[in-house]
Amino acid sequence: MLEIKNLMVFYENAIAINNINMKCQAEKVTGIFGANSAGKSTLMYTISGIILDVKKKEEMKGGERITVLGNITFEGMDITWMKPSERAKKGIVLCPERRRIFAESSALENLKIGGYLATKVQAKKTLEYVFSIFPALVKLKGREGGFLSGGEQQMLAIGRALMAQPKMLLLDEPLLGLSPLMEAMLARAIRNINQQTRIAILISEQYARPILPIIHHGYILENGGAVLEGNSRELMENPDVKSAYFGL
Amino acid sequence: MDILIYGIINSFSLALMAIGFTLVYGISRIPNFAHGALYVITGFLVWSLVHLLKLNYVVSIILALLIMGLVGAAIYRFVLIRVRGMATSEIIATYALGLAVLEFLRWGGFKGMTYTLPVFIEGSIVIGGIPVDLQRVIVIAIGIVVVTFMWLFTHFNKIGLALRGMAQDEHAAMMLGIDSDRMAVIAMAMGSMLAGIAAITLLPLGNIVVEAGYNVLILSIAVCIVGGLGSWVGAILAAFMIGFLQIITVAYIQSHFHMVVALLVIIATLILKPSGLFGRQKELEERV
Repeated sequence: MLEIKNLMVFYENAIAINNINMKCQAEKVTGIFGANSAGKSTLMYTISGIILDVKKKEEMKGGERITVLGNITFEGMDITWMKPSERAKKGIVLCPERRRIFAESSALENLKIGGYLATKVQAKKTLEYVFSIFPALVKLKGREGGFLSGGEQQMLAIGRALMAQPKMLLLDEPLLGLSPLMEAMLARAIRNINQQTRIAILISEQYARPILPIIHHGYILENGGAVLEGNSRELMENPDVKSAYFGL
Repeated sequence: MDILIYGIINSFSLALMAIGFTLVYGISRIPNFAHGALYVITGFLVWSLVHLLKLNYVVSIILALLIMGLVGAAIYRFVLIRVRGMATSEIIATYALGLAVLEFLRWGGFKGMTYTLPVFIEGSIVIGGIPVDLQRVIVIAIGIVVVTFMWLFTHFNKIGLALRGMAQDEHAAMMLGIDSDRMAVIAMAMGSMLAGIAAITLLPLGNIVVEAGYNVLILSIAVCIVGGLGSWVGAILAAFMIGFLQIITVAYIQSHFHMVVALLVIIATLILKPSGLFGRQKELEERV
């Protein structure tokens, strides 16, 4: 469904993504794991196209020079240079790191803004679905996004992304800064979303333990390059992964 | 009593002037310094349509507003899109545009007492012993209608909600498929139309003069700075604050100081609370 070929991203002369090749299958959950600065977020921003907007703005300001090389294809179409909003229309929707909730709008409005690309019928159906997987949000409908807790915001962010009718959902560090209870709950919710809606999910996380069991295929990133790949079991049983991510 | 009534009228005038400026700044972070010029153009446009093309007044107004919408969209499409993201260049570009338009109008001979728009309805009513002409009542009515419309639009309409999303976090909105340039075009078009609505409502109270362009710009900026740039609730509150301060100044000090009030309030705000009355969110960001 999504295929990345020889992708390289530079900030000035520093390499952020080093020759990554990866594939995401339709209807499957793909994981990307790596420590801080491994390039996870840059990869996510490159797939969703936000990096092109950042690049454009930096060029205008005469700021940091960002270089993108390589190819990203989505459903057989080259999207490397496509605008982020066009990619969202094609079905690639990113739920960004640190959630980036619209803080001054209520939770319901956040979801409605998410439904910009949806038709009325789709929006209504998806809204019901979001409330069914995250029942906690029903009570918080009227509360401003900025006043929600981290976990509530994360549920809202995933819901908001779902409202945009994705074919492929990108989740960038959805477990960042959450309690173990919330982590387990979200991991379960993410698996349920994948199983119930058949939306392909690409999930990046540095804390791999709750996510590894729910992925179908995963990549380990180190210093911008993919150093290891395999399915859930292979990754969990790999001695290097064990020592690095499980402390065994 | 007259302070109360004229204060309210003046406040609504300010709110009408400033709402277009706030809208554009709030959504696309473009300080539209051509706002005053757009206001004056609308006046002359309506005047020309009525007097040169002999069109019906209502038709002229509607036509003029539509043209203003297109002008706003064109300004973004052809000028601002090239300097997007560089605040200083945006100010220079829009200010240059406004200056060019206003001085061109002055050079073209659009000055003097001859350019006036007719009031909507002749006559006056007495409120609490104070005679108020109907046009000033209409200012309040249109002020309320515009503010209510904007509130409904940004809370229940899909595009309005998208505009608010864009205003809060551009990238997060993009991820959801909202196109930044398209939203900015809509914001500029609406901002220009709001400047036009303000012009059409307020100009019948006096002559159409080029200088009004500069005054409107300064007043809009004052309202927006006091209210907290980009905050709509703040802008409306600030309009009331400045509106009443001006009328009180006129009543108790001297009438020619009323323009000074706006400038003093800007300075006071920048010293005491640079983020404005309702710039809370931004204040937090600035601290971090």
